Amino acid sequence: MNLFRNIKGRNSWVFFGLLLLTVFSITTAITFGPAKITSLDILQCVVSECATPMHDMVIWQIRVPRVLVGLVAGMGLACAGAILQNVTRNPLADPYLFGIISGAGLGATIATLVLSEEQMLALPLAAFLGALFSVIIVFGIATLLRNMNHLLLTGVAVSFMLGSISHFILYLGDPFATNRVIFWLMGSLTRVEMFHFYLISAMVVITLITIFALHRQIDALLLGDESAASLGVNVDKLRIILLALCAAVTATIVAYCGGIGFVGLMIPHIVRQLVGVTTMPLIVGSALVGGCFLVWVDVLARSALSTVEIPIGIITSAIGSIFFLAIMYRTRKTG
Amino acid sequence: MSNLLTLDAVSWTVEKQAILSNISFNVAQGDILGIIGPNGAGKTSLLKCLLNQTKNWQGGIKLKNKSISHYKPHELAQTFALVVQKSPPIFELKVYDVVRMGLLPYKALFARDTDIDKKEIMLALEKVGLATSENKFFNTLSGGEQQRVLIAKALVQKAKILVLDEPTNHLDIFYQHQILQLVKALNITVIMTIHDLNLAAQYCTRLVLLNKGRLVSDNTVDKALNPETLSKVFGLPCFRDNVQQFPDSKLAEVPRVHFYPNSNTDSSLPTGKN
Repeated sequence: MNLFRNIKGRNSWVFFGLLLLTVFSITTAITFGPAKITSLDILQCVVSECATPMHDMVIWQIRVPRVLVGLVAGMGLACAGAILQNVTRNPLADPYLFGIISGAGLGATIATLVLSEEQMLALPLAAFLGALFSVIIVFGIATLLRNMNHLLLTGVAVSFMLGSISHFILYLGDPFATNRVIFWLMGSLTRVEMFHFYLISAMVVITLITIFALHRQIDALLLGDESAASLGVNVDKLRIILLALCAAVTATIVAYCGGIGFVGLMIPHIVRQLVGVTTMPLIVGSALVGGCFLVWVDVLARSALSTVEIPIGIITSAIGSIFFLAIMYRTRKTG
Repeated sequence: MSNLLTLDAVSWTVEKQAILSNISFNVAQGDILGIIGPNGAGKTSLLKCLLNQTKNWQGGIKLKNKSISHYKPHELAQTFALVVQKSPPIFELKVYDVVRMGLLPYKALFARDTDIDKKEIMLALEKVGLATSENKFFNTLSGGEQQRVLIAKALVQKAKILVLDEPTNHLDIFYQHQILQLVKALNITVIMTIHDLNLAAQYCTRLVLLNKGRLVSDNTVDKALNPETLSKVFGLPCFRDNVQQFPDSKLAEVPRVHFYPNSNTDSSLPTGKN
C-alpha cells in the first residue's frame, strides 16, 4: 500500500485494525435505529433488491446517508484538529477555537430573523457564511498583529464577541426561532442527505491530499519555526494554507451538521498514543478513528432514548470533557 | 582557501534600533568560525541574517559569489544546516523522526522515504554515536544527546555549512567537549555562536567578536583573545595565559582568558560594557 509506505512496523497493524473497524462500524451502524433492520436485510438490499419498500427507504434514504455523513464529518473534524495541533504546536488547539461555531451560530441566528419558514433551507448556507466571516476576522486580526502564534487567542476573543452578538439577537427575537438555532447549534445528523456526504467528503479528500503533499513541512514545524525555516519551509505561508484548509473543512461540516465539539480536540490525543506524532500516520489515524467515533456517537444519539433523539454535540462534549478530566488525572499521577 | 561566504556591510535595524551595524567578514571553506560577544551583541541576529530568516537587513551576503537572496529556500537549506534547540518539542517526537527532517530540502511534494534515505538516517545516527537510539523519544534524551541528534539531522541535510546557536548551553563540561569534538571531526565549515571563550579558543579556527551590533574584531584565535579588547567589551578585568590543549600531547598551545570581578565597582553590575 503506497499510502502506508512511510508507516513502519507496528503502525501498519494498527492501521489495518482501524480499517477493519471502519468497515465494521459503517455496516453495523446502519442496523441501529427505530425501525428494525438486520444485517441480512442490508445484505439483501446491497446484493439484490430490498425486501420491502420501507427497508429500501430507511436504508438508502435515511441510514446510509446518515452513517456516511457521520463518518466523513468525524474524519474532517479529527483531521482539522490534528493539523491545527501540529501546526500550532498546541495540544489544545481545536478547529472551533477559530470562532467557527460562534460565527456559524451568528449566521444561523441572522438567517432565522430575515428568512421565512420556507426559506429555512438556506440556514446551512448562512451558517457557512457566518463561519467563514469569523475565520476572516480571526485571520485579519492575527495578520494585523503580525503574529500567527496569536491566532488561537484571537479566535477565542472573536468567538466570545460573535457569541454575545448572537445571544443578544436571540434574546430579542422570536422564541421559536431561538429554539431552532439552539437545537441546530447542538449538532445533529437528522436531516443529512447524500448531497452533504459528497460535499463534506470532497472537502476531506482535498484536506488529506494537501496534507500528504505537505507532511514533511508540517513535521518540520514540530521542532520550532526557526528549525523549520532553516529546512527551507516558508513557515507563515504554510501556516496560512493549513489554517485556511482547516477552517474550510470545519465550516462545511458545521454548516450541515451543526456544532459537534471536542472531536478535533480529543481524537488526535488518542491517535498519538497509537501511531506517534508525525503528520502522515497522525492524519490517517485521526481520520479513521474520528470517523468511527462519530458514527458510534450518532448510533448512541438515535438509540439511547426510545422517544427522542439526543443532539450529537451534547454526547461528544460530554465524552470529550470526561476524556480530558481523565487525561489530566493521568498526567497528575504520572507527572 | 576560497571564500565560501562573504558578508559585506551587513546592517539590521528594527524599529529605528540598530541590531547590527556594518558587519563585514569572510568565511572560508573548512573554517570553524566562532561568533563571540556579550549578551545582546547581535550574535543570534547575525545568524538570522546569514540564513535569510529575517527581512529588512541591508548590505550583502554572498554564498559562492551569489547573493543569498537569489537562492531559493530549499537551496539555502541544502547549504546551511541550523542546529538550535530553544525549547523542547511539545509532542513526543522519536529520534528517527527528528533526523528524518533533514531529508526535507531534497524531497518533492508527496515524495516518500526510500531505502537509501533510511540508510542515510541510520548512518548519521551512527556517526554521532546514537546508532541504537532511533526509537527513543527525543525529549527523554540528555541535552548533549539532543544536540547530537540535531547534528545527525544536519548530516542528513548534507549541508556545506553547519550553523550552531549556543551549542554548549546548559551542557556540563563533558558534553560541551563531546559536542564540539564531534563538530570538529565532521570536517565541514562551521559557524557557531558561543559564550565560553575558552571553549571557542580550543575548537574554533577563527573568532568574530561582536559588541552592541558592531564588529570589534575578526581574527585568528590567538589575536582575537586580546585581554585589553575583551576587558572593554565584557566590562571586566581580563588576563590571558596559554596552556597546552592536552597535557600528554604535543599539540599547539591554546590561549585561555580569565575574567575577575572589578574590585572598584559592584561586581553584579558590570559597567564597562555599556
